[in-house]
Amino acid sequence: MRAKLARRSVLGLSLMLGASFIAPAWADDAKPIRIGWLSSLTGPLSSAAIAENIGVQFAVDEINAAGGIDGRKLELVTRDTMGDPTKAVNFAQQLAFNEKVDFVIGPVNSGESLAATPILARAGIPQIVIGTVDELTNPKLYPRAFRAIATNSQWVKGANDYVLDKLKLNKIAIIGDTTGYGTATVKQAEAMLKERGVTPVYSVLIDANKADLTDEIGKAKAAGAEVIMTWSAATGLLGRILNTRGEMGWDVPVVGHPALMGTPIRDLLNKPEYWDNTYASGYASMTIDENGKFPERTQQLMDAVKPKLGGKIDFTFWWIALGYDAVKILEHAIKKAGSTDPAAVQKALEETQGLELVYTTYSWGPDDRNGFPDEDIVINLANTFTDGGFKKAPHQ
Amino acid sequence: MLLSVLVTGLAIGALYASTALAFNVMYSTSKVLSVATGHLCMLGGVFGAYFIQTLGLPIIVGFVGALMVGVIAGYLMELITVRRIINRSDEHLWLLSTLALATMIQQSVALWWGTEPRPFPRVIPQEFGAGMADQKYWLPVVALIVIAIGLELFYRLTMYGKVFIAVSEDAFAARARGVPTNRIRAASYMIAGLIGALAGFAAGQLTFAYFALGHVLTLMGFIAIAVGGLGSNLGAVVGGLLLGVLSSLVSYWFGGEYQNTIAIGVLIIILIVRPEGLFGSKRVRHV
Repeated sequence: MRAKLARRSVLGLSLMLGASFIAPAWADDAKPIRIGWLSSLTGPLSSAAIAENIGVQFAVDEINAAGGIDGRKLELVTRDTMGDPTKAVNFAQQLAFNEKVDFVIGPVNSGESLAATPILARAGIPQIVIGTVDELTNPKLYPRAFRAIATNSQWVKGANDYVLDKLKLNKIAIIGDTTGYGTATVKQAEAMLKERGVTPVYSVLIDANKADLTDEIGKAKAAGAEVIMTWSAATGLLGRILNTRGEMGWDVPVVGHPALMGTPIRDLLNKPEYWDNTYASGYASMTIDENGKFPERTQQLMDAVKPKLGGKIDFTFWWIALGYDAVKILEHAIKKAGSTDPAAVQKALEETQGLELVYTTYSWGPDDRNGFPDEDIVINLANTFTDGGFKKAPHQ
Repeated sequence: MLLSVLVTGLAIGALYASTALAFNVMYSTSKVLSVATGHLCMLGGVFGAYFIQTLGLPIIVGFVGALMVGVIAGYLMELITVRRIINRSDEHLWLLSTLALATMIQQSVALWWGTEPRPFPRVIPQEFGAGMADQKYWLPVVALIVIAIGLELFYRLTMYGKVFIAVSEDAFAARARGVPTNRIRAASYMIAGLIGALAGFAAGQLTFAYFALGHVLTLMGFIAIAVGGLGSNLGAVVGGLLLGVLSSLVSYWFGGEYQNTIAIGVLIIILIVRPEGLFGSKRVRHV
């Protein structure tokens, strides 16, 4: 009797142990894929983040509705950084070490990303970078950080090439703001123009809250500038530049940062025509062709998302497309890697060429973490906003 | 072009000076330098734009509405962040309480109004393109003149004004003579709210209706009274205008990246050379 009990105990124990070896494998296959989403949903830099969040959430819902990735559902772990680099760092640590997410998208703003990316790199978590500052990607320092958005250099190069090659103007005034972004980008723009043999006739940094720009625009005019190039995301400053140019009756082109096309600018203008002759770096995917149509993939996403937005898109649509693509890039990488293993995902993305999504067609490589191709940068006419996109600037 | 720099400097300096006067009014009855002073101006600009531009109310109604918001904000500031603190503690805890209120006001406005600057409507019918004669340059100066003269008349000609001065000179003695110091202090904060909202409304076309203006104006208003002399209204006006013109000239000659550094540098120099400010009175401690 005792021997029988002992045999049963051994058998039971064996089954339990066996089950415990089998269970994790089964549980791992079924457990959701956790995506950390560092987004500045409130605070001074929230406009882009709110729109990107719509895209991220839409892609997650779409993938989950189709059964997930290889049977595993996606679980979004969102943290609102409020545009604050300190919060971004804390949340990056929380996502990596407490929440133990498999991937991270964001942070949204470059300043936050500069602070959070090294932490995610140390934790070995694959990250989709959606900040434009060039230093955010580096295959050696941050091997698992892959950028989805265009780089700042691509914006600057696109604008410089348009001014020099299409408008055929080389007497350039550069205006930036005194933030870290403005200061660095003005230097970068000057250096890139120098490579093309052009020295700006006037270059200035202005406090983003400066109430009047008569002297700066007057100096640019006095220096003989034929075009103003702006490198600032501060809506108030850009609005004042356009108003001052308009009130001086000085009809030179203004070319620069995508924020020049943002709808908040329209509200700040003293007269609607002050927005004429204004161009900004944009994207082929968000450009309306001669027949008034968007590229097919863009239109499909617009049609799908529009009902959720009340049938109207009144902000730049590329924010939604970028958020959507960030999730779809991860879907592609997981499927290609066959797992969520960070090293396998890194390898899968390094081998990705010509991944056709909405915002652009992405390619990365072992030594290249910037997926956005130069040829998809387009210069748009700022005052042609329609359904989140723009018309192409002339001469392209 | 130098003329435009000076005109711009005077216009923005007038806003700094008005903020400094609001500082002084509150300081006179409470000895508190509220961190939320600039936020009173911001509220005047934002609510002016909201009433006129968003709700479509007549300009005069929007103007009075914006002033009322300032008065209410001033009263709440005294009630919530000053009254109990200074009645119970001699420490400078009001610094924390007013900072907390400033942050709460800013965040609330950001959530409700949005974080992008929004346009401020034309107050007087005038075509754009009037150059230096544009109302956005002279309205803040007119507001400053009205505020400065109004305050002077208030202090000299009204009984309330004399009570303010009495509380300012010795609150304990005033209370001993039956002056309701709590009510006087609350009234002074409401007047400061009125001043701030008037200045913010008048400068709205220059600054746009922007949630983040508060902290900048608090800093600049504080520099203006420190330069001019704490408690001196003449000093606040001169300090504010000087700071505005100096900032504009620095930006014109050296570029925007040096604007604040030099402005604050000047403050430090003046405080070292003349700690009581240009028009402040030296404090003599009797022994």
